[in-house]
Amino acid sequence: MDFFDRFAVPHPSFLIYAAMVGIGLTMLAVVVGITYFKKWGYLWREWITTVDHKRIGIMYLLTALLMLFRGGVDAIMMRYQLAMPENTFLDSQHYNEVFTTHGVVMILFMAMPFIIFFFNFLVPLQIGARDVAFPRLNALSFWLFFMGMGLFNLSFIIGGSPDAGWTSYFPLAGNEFSTSVGTNYYMIAIQIAGIGTLMTGINFITTILKMRAPGMTLMKMPMFTWSAFIANVIIVFAFPVLTVLLAMGTMDRLFGTNFFTTDNGGMDMLWANLFWVWGHPEVYILILPAFGLYSEIIPTFARRNLYGYKSMVASMVVISILSFVVWAHHFFTMGQGPLTNSIFSITTMAIAIPTGVKIFNWLFTLWKGKIQFTTPMLYSILFIPLFTLGGVTGVMLAMSAADYQYHNTMFLVAHFHNVIIPGVVYAMLAGMTFYWPKIFGFMLNEKLGKWTAWLLTVGFVLAFIPMYITGLDGQARRMYTYSESTGFSLLNMVSFIGAAIMAIAFALLVYNIYYSIRYSPRNIGSDPWDARSLEWSTHTPVPEYNFAITPQVASTQAFWDSKKNGHELFKGDIEKIHMPNNSGLPFIMSCMFFVFGFAMVFSIWPVVIVSLIGILACLVYRSFEQDHGRYISVEEIKETETRLRGAKNEGR
Amino acid sequence: MKELFPLKQVMGFAFSLVLTVVALMVYFTDMSYTMGMTVLLITAFIQAGLQVVVFMHAGETKDKRSIYVNIYYALLIALITIFGTLLVLVWDM
Amino acid sequence: MKVDNSLPLEYSTEENNLKILGFWIFIGAEIMLFATLFTAYFTLENRTGNGPTGAEIFEITPVLIETILLLTSSFTIGLAIHAMRLNRKKAMMGFFTITLILGTAFLGVEIYEFTHYVHVGAGLQTSAFTAALLTTLGTHGLHVTLGLFWGLFILLQIKKRGLTPETANKSFIFSLYWHFLDIIWIFIFSFIYLKGMM
Ligand code: HEM
Ligand SMILES: [Cu+2]
Repeated sequence: MDFFDRFAVPHPSFLIYAAMVGIGLTMLAVVVGITYFKKWGYLWREWITTVDHKRIGIMYLLTALLMLFRGGVDAIMMRYQLAMPENTFLDSQHYNEVFTTHGVVMILFMAMPFIIFFFNFLVPLQIGARDVAFPRLNALSFWLFFMGMGLFNLSFIIGGSPDAGWTSYFPLAGNEFSTSVGTNYYMIAIQIAGIGTLMTGINFITTILKMRAPGMTLMKMPMFTWSAFIANVIIVFAFPVLTVLLAMGTMDRLFGTNFFTTDNGGMDMLWANLFWVWGHPEVYILILPAFGLYSEIIPTFARRNLYGYKSMVASMVVISILSFVVWAHHFFTMGQGPLTNSIFSITTMAIAIPTGVKIFNWLFTLWKGKIQFTTPMLYSILFIPLFTLGGVTGVMLAMSAADYQYHNTMFLVAHFHNVIIPGVVYAMLAGMTFYWPKIFGFMLNEKLGKWTAWLLTVGFVLAFIPMYITGLDGQARRMYTYSESTGFSLLNMVSFIGAAIMAIAFALLVYNIYYSIRYSPRNIGSDPWDARSLEWSTHTPVPEYNFAITPQVASTQAFWDSKKNGHELFKGDIEKIHMPNNSGLPFIMSCMFFVFGFAMVFSIWPVVIVSLIGILACLVYRSFEQDHGRYISVEEIKETETRLRGAKNEGR
Repeated sequence: MKELFPLKQVMGFAFSLVLTVVALMVYFTDMSYTMGMTVLLITAFIQAGLQVVVFMHAGETKDKRSIYVNIYYALLIALITIFGTLLVLVWDM
Repeated sequence: MKVDNSLPLEYSTEENNLKILGFWIFIGAEIMLFATLFTAYFTLENRTGNGPTGAEIFEITPVLIETILLLTSSFTIGLAIHAMRLNRKKAMMGFFTITLILGTAFLGVEIYEFTHYVHVGAGLQTSAFTAALLTTLGTHGLHVTLGLFWGLFILLQIKKRGLTPETANKSFIFSLYWHFLDIIWIFIFSFIYLKGMM
């Protein structure tokens, strides 16, 4: 039985056993359900083997929502543990595991797939393309990401969760102090997902550079596409750092190398350094697409052209470079000299300038606009002041001397949640609400949507603003409890209440989806918001070839011009369209990666070797395979077009 | 036979051998550290540029600009990472 | 598939153009990958613990042989692409084969080099320096190994299917990869070996 001992969770509790049972039962129910309804064939043909960017996007969305739930449960547990002094709901070990998985899940498995969902769904539509440049690679990206996500979550029930923080600093993350396999999971699961993300980056840069509709010069691209472009540039140059870093961490843990150990010359600080060389760009990878979404939503509902297009683009280009020169602000207290700290302080503060430019551009877009307070707009308007607050506290943290006071306190925790929640999460929810009709053919309920936005905001303010205060008072982050005498009790209780309100808001969102599926009208046409860019000019639901005729573009808001100024979008006749074939290879190969990763985590070398051979075999197969795609005939397109136009009821 | 050996590429190869020999000077002669590093930096970057332009045909299509921007960008970030890290962890620690 | 006959085969379809640009961007990512390895190497270079230093274990002869082999193979793959553009299938395959043979020889010497290091007490676990050294060299070596297999498959495909837009495109992309590995080697040669022995 020795062999199986390693799979046991080293520090079990009732919660973990309950989760095991719960996950087991859910999986069983899913399998039984699919079999009962005979959906395996459908799943395989339409989803698992798909290379359609829209479907892949939807799968990213579902994963992100699932992970939002998982990370949210972690969050509530942490806030409940800290709500009372000397609480015993979680012990220190469990608290460590929970904050670690919360961070990883939220950043890498919730926020990342959420933005990649928008890349996938929107970018080809916004630039008038049929698909991305490499549809097959896109499927591989998704499945690798998905398997990485699955592997990471498996740690909870097999072998034990990682517990060294989402930053996983050495020497804490080394074998000496992290004895369970949890940190192996961290290293390998993120590695697999990260490779998928890197390929997403390459794919989208190529797509945006090469596949734009005729007439759409770079400076006529919709703002979201611009932000996606810059974010993908950052992905391509930041993620290799993570790849190497995780490989070195894996070697330290599995092969006894001395990169980050404390003897034989190893340097634990190198981990922190390289982690943030990737980590800071990573936060900008998340925020830029969020900015892009706001830049789509605000003009639509202010009924005005986006103010300062050029300065918006310029500020993002500047950010893409600056985001690579500020990383040391995450460890001002590590011991490097004042010269270094001053340099990184200044570069950090400099980032606030392009960010500020963008804020003012949105404000000027709103200025004298005829504002419609829809749900997406509500999120956008709440975003501006709240995010600005987060940016201001960021600049406070950027002063290296002052940071000795703030560092690793709840003040820091408040800062980054203050930028990530109103910045990224609001944008994701706003964007989701905004594009929901394009994706699924009906709107989310506006009244419920606004309730969600307001509840979320109240919850957010209650949950995080108090942390600025307790942080300044010296409450350290990542501590599982505190004593009554510190006086932190009241504010932490307020935080818990805020977190609970946020949980209610998310529950309301789920209810909204359910409610809207049942009751929302379906005859909304293809442009329900009276919007501006190309994605709204095709049918709802979007046919698999996106546009029957490639659109002609002459401005940043081609669709608006076609509606108001007589610009002719679709010229010429329908021709046959070339489309890629579906393929099961990406999925199969990613499954092998999953097995490989699992075997690595537990050092089961024979399985490692076999799965590696499997991965290579897939590559070889791919190399010899001849697949020239297929054509959709003109008749077929015409038929689809008439059908979709008919379904609209209130044609334009 | 001759058409299989275009002059440009043969010259490129010869030049890269010459650069290798020059780089080897830092090993075979007695040079100061600064001098040696200067030589290595110059020879390495010229060689890399040579490969990109002569052998990799970076400039032959209308994607020329994208390709060069891509490389310069990568180079910039790479140098920032290397020297920034050295500043943090070695020179100013 | 639209084929434009005015361009070399490897650029003749839209898909081919996408692949070439995509690969260039991949090379951008690879630059960062190796830059990170170099970062780690330069940081840990002097942290040798109880193990040997670079100057103690580097040997100029194998390194020089490796350099010449790889430089020449980079030249021959260039010639292969040139021959391909002249539509000289035989010559192209000849140069391609020579490239792969040179690559294999390179790998052979590198394996010798690694055993030598282990032999003189500079194994993977010895010190931070050896870990960074062997990981950097090993990553490059792994790229070469994968490249050899990849190249072999392309060669087989050219043999079977002739010079088509597809095989030409693959060959061209392979040549980009191979030149890139040569560039990385130049940096390894200059800033790991020569700098270490200076
Ligand atoms: C005006 C812009 C910003 C400035 C000046 C800034 C500055 C800083 C500084 C100095 C720290 C480190 C503090 C410490 O550890 O003591 C920090 C941490 C952090 N920031 Fe920001 N920031 C800005 C915007 C953002 C944005 C837009 C995001 C994300 C979308 C973000 C996410 C984070 C995260 C996740 C951390 C800490 C992670 C951790 O230690 O676990 N920041 N920020
Ligand atoms: Cu940062």
